Amino acid sequence: MTPMKQLIKVLWVEKKDIISAVIFGFIAGISSVGLFAASGYLISKAALVPPLYALIVLTSTVKLLGFIKASAKYAERLVSHRATFTILSNLRVEFFEKLEPLVPQIFRKYRSGDLLGRVVGDVESLQNFFLRVFYPPIVLVLVFVSTIFFTTFYSWAVAVILFVGYLITTLLIPFLFSLKQLNIKQQVSAERGKLSTEVTEFMFGFKELKLFQQVDNKRQALLSQANNYSQTQNHENINKAFNQSFTGFVTFMTSWLVLAVGAYLVAIGDLEGIFLAMLVMISLTVFEPIAPMGVFPIYYQESQTAVTRLDEVVNDHDVSLDQGNAALSTDSAPYLRMNHVAFSYHGDWRKTLSDISITIPRGSKTAIVGASGSGKSTLLQLLIKLQFAEKGDLFWNEQNYTMIRATSIWEQTRVVLQENHFFYGTIRENLLIADENASDRLLEDMLKRVLLDHFSLEGHVAERGENLSGGEKQRLAIARAMLKSGKLWILDEPTSSLDAKTEQVILDHIETLAQDDTLLLVSHRINGLEKMDQIIVMEYGKIIESGRYDELMKRKGYLYEMKQLEQSMLG
Amino acid sequence: MNQIKQSLQMHKLRLIMLAFLTLLLGTSIIIQALAITYVVNGIYIDDVSFLSIVKWLIILFGALLIRATADYLSKKIGISIASHVKKQTRVRLLNKYRNEITSMENRGQTGEKVSLLLDGVDEMDSFYSQFIPQVMQSAFVPLLTLIIIFTQHMNSGIILMVTAPFIPIYMIVIGIQTQKKSEEKLDKMAAFSGTFLDTLKGLVTLKLFNRTDQKKKEIERSSLGFRDTTMDILKIAFTQSFMLEVISMLSIGIVALEIAFQLVLYNGITFFTAFFVLILVPEFYTALKELGTTFHNGRSSMGAAKKVFESFETSVVPVKWGNQVFENSDQVPTIVLENVTFRYGADRFALEDISFICHPNEKIAIVGPSGAGKSTLLNLFAGMISPEQGQLTINGESLLTYTEASWLNQVSYISQDPYIFAGTIRENIAIGASESITDEDVKDAARKAGIATLIDSLPETYQTYIGEGGRGLSSGEKQRVAIARAFIKQPNVVLLDEPTRGLDLQTERILQQSTKELQTFGTVITIAHRLHTIKDADKIVFLQEGRITGNGTHDELYAALPAYREMVTIQQGGTA
Repeated sequence: MTPMKQLIKVLWVEKKDIISAVIFGFIAGISSVGLFAASGYLISKAALVPPLYALIVLTSTVKLLGFIKASAKYAERLVSHRATFTILSNLRVEFFEKLEPLVPQIFRKYRSGDLLGRVVGDVESLQNFFLRVFYPPIVLVLVFVSTIFFTTFYSWAVAVILFVGYLITTLLIPFLFSLKQLNIKQQVSAERGKLSTEVTEFMFGFKELKLFQQVDNKRQALLSQANNYSQTQNHENINKAFNQSFTGFVTFMTSWLVLAVGAYLVAIGDLEGIFLAMLVMISLTVFEPIAPMGVFPIYYQESQTAVTRLDEVVNDHDVSLDQGNAALSTDSAPYLRMNHVAFSYHGDWRKTLSDISITIPRGSKTAIVGASGSGKSTLLQLLIKLQFAEKGDLFWNEQNYTMIRATSIWEQTRVVLQENHFFYGTIRENLLIADENASDRLLEDMLKRVLLDHFSLEGHVAERGENLSGGEKQRLAIARAMLKSGKLWILDEPTSSLDAKTEQVILDHIETLAQDDTLLLVSHRINGLEKMDQIIVMEYGKIIESGRYDELMKRKGYLYEMKQLEQSMLG
Repeated sequence: MNQIKQSLQMHKLRLIMLAFLTLLLGTSIIIQALAITYVVNGIYIDDVSFLSIVKWLIILFGALLIRATADYLSKKIGISIASHVKKQTRVRLLNKYRNEITSMENRGQTGEKVSLLLDGVDEMDSFYSQFIPQVMQSAFVPLLTLIIIFTQHMNSGIILMVTAPFIPIYMIVIGIQTQKKSEEKLDKMAAFSGTFLDTLKGLVTLKLFNRTDQKKKEIERSSLGFRDTTMDILKIAFTQSFMLEVISMLSIGIVALEIAFQLVLYNGITFFTAFFVLILVPEFYTALKELGTTFHNGRSSMGAAKKVFESFETSVVPVKWGNQVFENSDQVPTIVLENVTFRYGADRFALEDISFICHPNEKIAIVGPSGAGKSTLLNLFAGMISPEQGQLTINGESLLTYTEASWLNQVSYISQDPYIFAGTIRENIAIGASESITDEDVKDAARKAGIATLIDSLPETYQTYIGEGGRGLSSGEKQRVAIARAFIKQPNVVLLDEPTRGLDLQTERILQQSTKELQTFGTVITIAHRLHTIKDADKIVFLQEGRITGNGTHDELYAALPAYREMVTIQQGGTA
């Protein structure tokens, strides 16, 4: 099924509203034509000095049509907008369902921020599909066909003229226009991209530009790019304006032809004079609803691009799905092994992990240290099957990771990532994610353990926890991990934003809770790792050395030097 | 508001042309109605031959052509005004930012400015390209039609005069109501519309906690909540157009009825006049209704224009350089700060009463807690900002007597997060260097900065694209590119902002080694975060809240200053 067909399928769920919108739209359109036709007829009739009652009937008809038109328009708008937003809701759910299995493997290829922003933008832009692409042409065709049918009773010639004018304005012009517009639009976005690069470099690289005395060069480059951009924009706008005016002219010409031919027909006696004004009035109004057709190609293209791009994301063959379907055989604390494991992100020019072999004994406590970018976090992600190894094997007890269902690993794991997400809502809601049935007392107890007892469970959490400080977010994430069940702890720099005192209290709590569990901790500092069973030191995606703290210190290798460096850093 | 007026006044000629085109447009609408009436009247009432109305058909054709052309040209003028305003605004913004960007405190502000320069300016477009021409048309056309109708048939004119004010009055009343209602619901709507992105961003967390289904329902719930809230607001807007439609329809109906009665009962007017008026009346109301929607749409684009213009209201005085060329460029200068004070904004001191001397080839470490004014001090040395009070002298002369170029030629600044430009590695290392720099020089600098091995391992070596759209570099690698830049430049004064967090050991070693080598060029002023840098320094300047609270060697300060002692010992296992 093509992406467009799928989109229409999602749309069609709301068929009741869609059909109502079309019907109301038709009534509004046809009564508008009727209104003008009747008033043209009214005035012609009046010139013949008819009996007064005939005039009154006609006038009331005009009024009634006007009222129907306004009401139908109101109903159409209401129904079509309601449908649009319901469709948007359906689209979001539909897309969420499709994207869900791909996360987070998909982040191996796309940066998460870029991807999600784009995806949301694309899904939102599809709300225009129904409102501006799907149903206006249907209404338009219905109104036109009926009107032309009506005119055939009076004059075939006029009907033919209207039909030809209709074809030109709704098919020929939009088609020609859309080809040109597509081309220009691509140019505009290319130029905008270039300008955006220039501006970013100028603003963020300003200090360097100034120090190397490149400000004027760069400023010139920026302004000339701004010029290019605004020229293509002009081109786009002028093209649009021309299209609008030209369409307007063609509709005028159609009315003109109707008038000329109509006048001729009356003059030679083929048409009764009383209908001339009516036909002219019809030709003047019947083109009113074609205005949306001017933007039709633009929105059509937009929807097409959005839907294709979304399809590329959800049907990306580079993104592998979880093939494992076995559950974990026991729920005791696991021992883990990595055997010559390699991993890299798509498009990255160096391996994030190469040839990693480690053993994590049951119930052991392991620390991983290394500079930023050395691959520590990726290693943790592989251990909880958030990413899949490119080469090599991983084992949970004796089970190979490729066979294990990722969800069953997550059920067994308590995770604190470097970036922890918090949802719009309350502190309570965000904690309950870990354990739905936890009592308020338990939640408050957890908050106390992470030294957040000043927080109320009712406290507001903004989107992405934006109203919380880095340290507060880390502590909440730890509380969440404490609430969850599982015998494997995966902690990625969980306390990097905390002061040493708070850090120690919280780490002590974790130590007590995780006494019999297997624990892996990526640590931002070496101080305090003395008690760990194993320390793994990483650099550039490789393991440099590993062993107990005192062993490594005695060896005076990499960890020793890192410790020296750490001690020489000011707080 | 004044700025918007000003921006328009610069385009007087275009505005006059626009007014002329609008006049033409209005006239062609009248002629169009007139010609149609002649044709219908001639054929239907007077029974004249087809040939005798041909001239009116030709006139009508001409009027329609003019109407379409005038419409197109006035849009085109609007577009060209918009384009000029955008261009000028970008130039002005850029000039303004050039002065103030170095005195800005954080990158968040820079991001805001980038978006103003790109999107903010673009959003101004529709105000000039659509709003202005539309306002002219919508104001002028009703006026013209009203006058013509008055000359034709007094009664219809009076009906128009009486009914027309209902439209703007109604629009204002409803406009205020919509505004209020939508403001009330703004928070609610923002919360609803953010849920989708929020949930997608939290998908990993949801999966780890097995809560995906619960949030899926929430997406639906909040989307429908958004729908209902939006519909509440839209309903008002739709009712508004419904009412407008009814008002204008009733008015047209009254006119039609009045004309019909005149025609039938009193024979007061001819069919010609009746038909003519009846064609013109809808044009009158359509234009009035458009005026309403135009104002509605104009409000947002005017808002964008205002926002951009408002940013011009604050201004920063740029550093005023002199025109003397710095003579002794082979010798390392003596730099003296005399009672220097600098502020961001009105009342917040960044630096207060700072005085110290940097002798040639001295190693100076600036130490202090974050927010003490260390970066501001370094910016002062780099000539990015100038003292508000006091002065900075070079060999006894104020820095500001020299040209900017002749001072900057002496200085290298290695920041914590050096900017990498879109371009090749070679271009990035040799940025700002003279043409005579050879490939050998660049390679040599890369070697000294410890990045040569990495570069050689790349398939395109020094021609590899980095920066935006190119290969990404780690922060340690960026640091090394910045050091290579300094080796090319061989400056007399090195300004170094040490990374606050430890880098990988390789980069740390290189940093330590290459700063030693850079010291052979001249004076090195470092914002120090590492104990070895501090112990190595000839002089330590200890800053607290913008003031110097200590000045001397490590041992001296350690003995004399408790605050300093606390700062340098806190890491030595003193915490746990």
